Amino acid sequence: MADETHPGSCECSPTRSTPMGTPLRKVLDRISGFATPWRSSSALRGRRIFHRDVEREEFQYAATRCLSSYYSVFVARLAIMVMLAILIGLLTILTWHFTKIYTTKSLNSLAYGLRNELLQRPILRMWNILNSTSEITTAQVKLSEYVFRRYNKPDTQAEQVELYESMRDVTWALFASRKALNAITINYRNGFVQAFHRDHRSNNTFYIYSDLVNYSISASGSSYEINSLSSQQGWKDQSIHGNISAVWYQEPLDPITGEKTGKAKPIPPDDLINIAGLSEVPDGVASWHVAVSKYTDTPLLSAALPVWDPSNESIVAVVGVTTALYSVGQLMKELVEVHSGHIYLTSQEGYLLATSTNAPLLRNSTQGPKLMRAIDSDDEVIQMGATWLQRAYGNNFSQSHEVHAENARLGHEQYYIDSFFLKLKRLPLVGVIIIPRKNIMGKVDERAFKTLVILISASLCILFIGCICILILTNGVSKEMKLRAELISHLDARRRAEASSNYKSQFLANMSHELRTPMAAVIGLLDILICDDCLTNEQYATVTQIRKCSTALLRLLNNILDLSKVESGKLVLEDAEFDLGRELEGLVDMFSVQCINHNVETVLDLSDNMPKLVRGDSARVVQIFANLISNSLKFTSSGHVIIRGWCENSSSSIDIEKFPLDHKKSQPAHKIKFKQQGSHTKKACKKENKMILRFEVDDTGCGIDPSKWESVFESFEQADPSTTRTHGGTGLGLCIVRTLVNKMGGEIKVAKKDGPGTLMQLYLLLNAPADGTEQHYRVDFSKHSLVVLLALHGRMGRLIMSQWLHKSGVFTMEASEWNELTQILREFFCIRRSARNNGFDAQHSLSEPLNTQVLSIQDMRNPVFVIVVDIGLLDLSTDIWKEQINFLDIYFGKAKFAWMLNHDTSNAIKMELRRKGHILMVNMPLYKAKMIHILEAVIKERNVELQKKSSNALRTTKESNLHEYHEIDTTHFDVASSDDSDMPEMRSSNSICGSLDGEKRRERITKPCSSGYQNINNCLVELTRVYSKENYLTERDPCQVGHNSHDVQNEEPKCCTQASLSAEPQSENADCREQHLVSSCPTAQGNLYSSKAMNEQKSLEGLRILLAEDTPVLQRVATIMLEKMGATVIAVGDGLQAVDALNCKLSAEACERDCVCEDRNTRLQTENRDFPLYDLILMDCQMPKMDGYEATKIIRKSEAGTGLHTPIVALTAHAMSSDEAKCLEVGMDAYLTKPINYKLMVSTILSLTTRTAYVKRELTNQ
Amino acid sequence: MDGVVQLQKQLVDYIASLFHEGFLDEQFNQLQQLQDESNPDFVVEVVSLFFEDSERLLNELAKALEQKTIDFRKVDAHVHQFKGSSSSIGAHRVQKVCIAFRNYCEEQNVEGCLKCLQQVKHEYSLVRNKLETLFQLEKQIIAAGGSLPAT
Repeated sequence: MADETHPGSCECSPTRSTPMGTPLRKVLDRISGFATPWRSSSALRGRRIFHRDVEREEFQYAATRCLSSYYSVFVARLAIMVMLAILIGLLTILTWHFTKIYTTKSLNSLAYGLRNELLQRPILRMWNILNSTSEITTAQVKLSEYVFRRYNKPDTQAEQVELYESMRDVTWALFASRKALNAITINYRNGFVQAFHRDHRSNNTFYIYSDLVNYSISASGSSYEINSLSSQQGWKDQSIHGNISAVWYQEPLDPITGEKTGKAKPIPPDDLINIAGLSEVPDGVASWHVAVSKYTDTPLLSAALPVWDPSNESIVAVVGVTTALYSVGQLMKELVEVHSGHIYLTSQEGYLLATSTNAPLLRNSTQGPKLMRAIDSDDEVIQMGATWLQRAYGNNFSQSHEVHAENARLGHEQYYIDSFFLKLKRLPLVGVIIIPRKNIMGKVDERAFKTLVILISASLCILFIGCICILILTNGVSKEMKLRAELISHLDARRRAEASSNYKSQFLANMSHELRTPMAAVIGLLDILICDDCLTNEQYATVTQIRKCSTALLRLLNNILDLSKVESGKLVLEDAEFDLGRELEGLVDMFSVQCINHNVETVLDLSDNMPKLVRGDSARVVQIFANLISNSLKFTSSGHVIIRGWCENSSSSIDIEKFPLDHKKSQPAHKIKFKQQGSHTKKACKKENKMILRFEVDDTGCGIDPSKWESVFESFEQADPSTTRTHGGTGLGLCIVRTLVNKMGGEIKVAKKDGPGTLMQLYLLLNAPADGTEQHYRVDFSKHSLVVLLALHGRMGRLIMSQWLHKSGVFTMEASEWNELTQILREFFCIRRSARNNGFDAQHSLSEPLNTQVLSIQDMRNPVFVIVVDIGLLDLSTDIWKEQINFLDIYFGKAKFAWMLNHDTSNAIKMELRRKGHILMVNMPLYKAKMIHILEAVIKERNVELQKKSSNALRTTKESNLHEYHEIDTTHFDVASSDDSDMPEMRSSNSICGSLDGEKRRERITKPCSSGYQNINNCLVELTRVYSKENYLTERDPCQVGHNSHDVQNEEPKCCTQASLSAEPQSENADCREQHLVSSCPTAQGNLYSSKAMNEQKSLEGLRILLAEDTPVLQRVATIMLEKMGATVIAVGDGLQAVDALNCKLSAEACERDCVCEDRNTRLQTENRDFPLYDLILMDCQMPKMDGYEATKIIRKSEAGTGLHTPIVALTAHAMSSDEAKCLEVGMDAYLTKPINYKLMVSTILSLTTRTAYVKRELTNQ
Repeated sequence: MDGVVQLQKQLVDYIASLFHEGFLDEQFNQLQQLQDESNPDFVVEVVSLFFEDSERLLNELAKALEQKTIDFRKVDAHVHQFKGSSSSIGAHRVQKVCIAFRNYCEEQNVEGCLKCLQQVKHEYSLVRNKLETLFQLEKQIIAAGGSLPAT
């Protein structure tokens, strides 16, 4: 129920409501379940509307609690997840940031350095080129000036030629020394041109000169001087452009030596190279410009310087040096090859001078090649870079402006763009380097990107895993919470269930308690009725039966009470010595009544090694067996119920020997198992003086299904529910049995059995008796040479009995029916008779087994035949039984008959048997103890017969007594086993009797069964003694004897009470009565609840009681009361007198005695100094002069050294328990309240004085 | 003989009424049971002892309560004794009043004590009259030659 209605948790419930739940769906449901808890709860409510209200309430309660707990879990889960996410994110970002930023920064700075370096080198080269050009130009100018000075004013053609020649040499020398030079030109004033030209592509060197014819020194010289400055332009124009007619010659030269290698051929002027003219040096200083030539595809750097005449007044020639910028481009290319990227140089105006690419620098236009602007470059990158620069910084760079752009986006790529400004005089240069970003930062960026990706993915993974972990972990927590909630609700439910179970137990206990009270009354009344002597035998039997049933009913109530007691753990086992065998026999006796009705045989089969006395809770042990037996009987309709018992204390070999034969055969394996099981406890038991008693209850009933073997021991459990109708019962019995057995340290189980029926096996751990002497049932009759014929109806009982008898040394024969019996009897006795004459003949007619027996019996001398006849063998339905009995009469003299009576055997049969002289009659279940009685009785009888020949009267005595004794047994057991409260009292009374009586009496009373017959004889022997005692009493107390002699005896049957059931109402003769008198007297004395009438006569006789009481009325009343019971009373008025009375005696005993004699009573007989003057003091507590407490204190003080202890009983009107405590404190022994309760007073006095009184009496007897 | 029977009947009725009205209780029965041949006048003896004792005690009590400073201990002892003796003969109502009396004594309640004393006196005289009547009846029966009905 709990499982079904239990809420589980909210997380389960939605999924439950949606049966097809993919994981995703589940998750969604779960989330939605959190988000909308009301929905799930309402759904639950809806679903559960069919359940009962209580369940629903419970459920909702648990569900809401569960929900709330789940919420908290979920919130915690979320919080943890978010925190984890934040943490991981932060870590990622930080890692990324640090790695990226530092790398980038350092790389950037490195890259900057690199770029700077890269750009610096072409610029340096440029610078070198410029410098070298400038130097050469200057050198050329200086040399030219020198040559001119030397050939100053050449007047003649020859001189002029000589000048030119030397100029040529000088120029060649310079030109040759500088391989990088493209050309050196000298343009003279008169238009004459000398030039060396080096063609780098063809690696040819040429000497170019103009035709001398056209130039006259004079003509040009004259005008030169005049318009030195004003007509310079005109001069140049004239010389260069004007002289179109001038013819130039090109003369190839050996590049190293300068020797003419070929013929000069005329070329058009300016065709090949630029000749720096005068126009280029207008102000007479060096000029720079970038030029292009048609023979090279690179721009040329040309410098021009004027050569002044020695007077330094006019320019005589212009020297031009041209250097190709080719090498700069070459360097750039080399650099770029290593480092990649693009480098270019532009002039300030933006014309490209050199690039690292192969893109052409010149543009072919109609007027020849021209310089290209950077933005028009064919190279895309350069063009884009230039455009970007222009866009970003405008057209004009400020002079010292350097640009370092790191993230210029050109096309699809990012570039670093750096520009440097090189400030040269007249030729400022701008260097630009464009490096793709990926070249420098490419790897870094890639790495960074990869790192970022890895970091992010790693952190995502961690986040994911973390979340899962959290989910899993918190799932555990939430599961735990769920479980805890479940547990709490379960605990709650359990507590409730326990409470209700408690109520139930309490109710049961109360009910059974309430029922017990009237039952006790019923039983008590029945007991009174049983004591009544006017009942007929039938009535008596019926009442006994009713009583048995009542006790059974009471037992059932007790069972219920027990169960509730055991369940609440309040059952405490008592530990007292008891006779286990007798208890079980009593049980079997009791149940045999039911058995016989059922046609079921009850057999008690106790092994001989069973200890006689054990310590334990006899009531509970009996209860165990009563339950088991009644259970077995209930389910057995025909067959037998066997109670086997054996002790496991002794060695195993004995065990097997003792073990019933059939059982040994049928279940050897089982037995071994059983033994092994118990063996471990055995050792422990030995130490603690415990023994293992094993029992089996074996029936031939309907049996128990093996699957129910365990569950039958549960309460309210029956193997087959249908049996309740047919057999009734509550199913409590076995439950109680198991709890009790377990409590006694044993175990019970249902064992496998071959035949039909049930086999219960159990063992108990019971203490051995304290004195340690083990008494067994073992008897040996072999020396008596007994022969027993068991004519019993029940097969098992007969078998077991005969086996046991056989072991005990008794020959047995068996008969199961009347015919068999008669046959055996007839044959046997006939044969015996004839065998003396002719043994061989007789043996032929006998069956084989009987034959051998007869043979062995024949060997015995003077055998005693005992025939145990089951009354059931007689045909009771008709009158044939009389004939049958008559038939047996033939054998009466030859054998002893013992009749097994049924409990319902009619009186007529009994009477008839008695009439015939069959005195041995026992009730039906025949067990060992009874058998022993019978045999002992027979043996005794034989002995008696030998002694006394005339025994007719004696026989009747025996008969009644024997019968009586068995009755005593059963009654006793009923009381003992049914009513817990009665038993200890009975026991105590018994033991008191025992202690009071002499050795013989003790024996007789404690073992009435075992020596029943002997007892009778003892009684006879004792009679004389008793009479003498009586006589003595008569002498002592003439007044009382008056009552004693006859009246008392008449009254006596009436006075038998519940406790003194041993009194047999049907006294038949005087002997018997005398015996009663003897036996009941001590009983009554010891018994607290003995009846009034009996006590009235003799209970207090011979006691001397000092009564200290100030109130005269009370004094008188008490005196009379006590005197009526035969006590001698000395009354005093206060405590002081009481003390005086005692002290007097102590100081002067003799005188006191006289005085006392005078005072009250003349019947004092004691001469004994050993006894105190008073047997008891009744002391009122509140008295004038000295109250009871004081008096008691003084008395106790004075007694201190003497070893005497006079019992003092307080009399007080205070009924408080504190008063009682006070009384006991000062040394009083008991406590009585006023008004004096007669019975209570007597019993109190008796309990305190019995010992002394008895000893006294014994002494007086002597 | 008729007269004796009549008287006997009257006696039984009378005793029954005494029990019924609560003057006497079970203790009185016990007392009567104790009476036998050995002590034929036991009941009368005891009861007259009771009367004597009671007179004495009542006087003592009255005296004690008249004192200026009342010795409650003494009073209590007397009442206790009175209670004991009355309960011994089975004078139930006297005994009951005695219990109340003792309670007042413990409380040292003079008023209550005095009231109780009156009550006790009253009850005592009542029970005394009744018992005397009872004895008278018995005497008459015996004088008439009858025997006392068994109780």
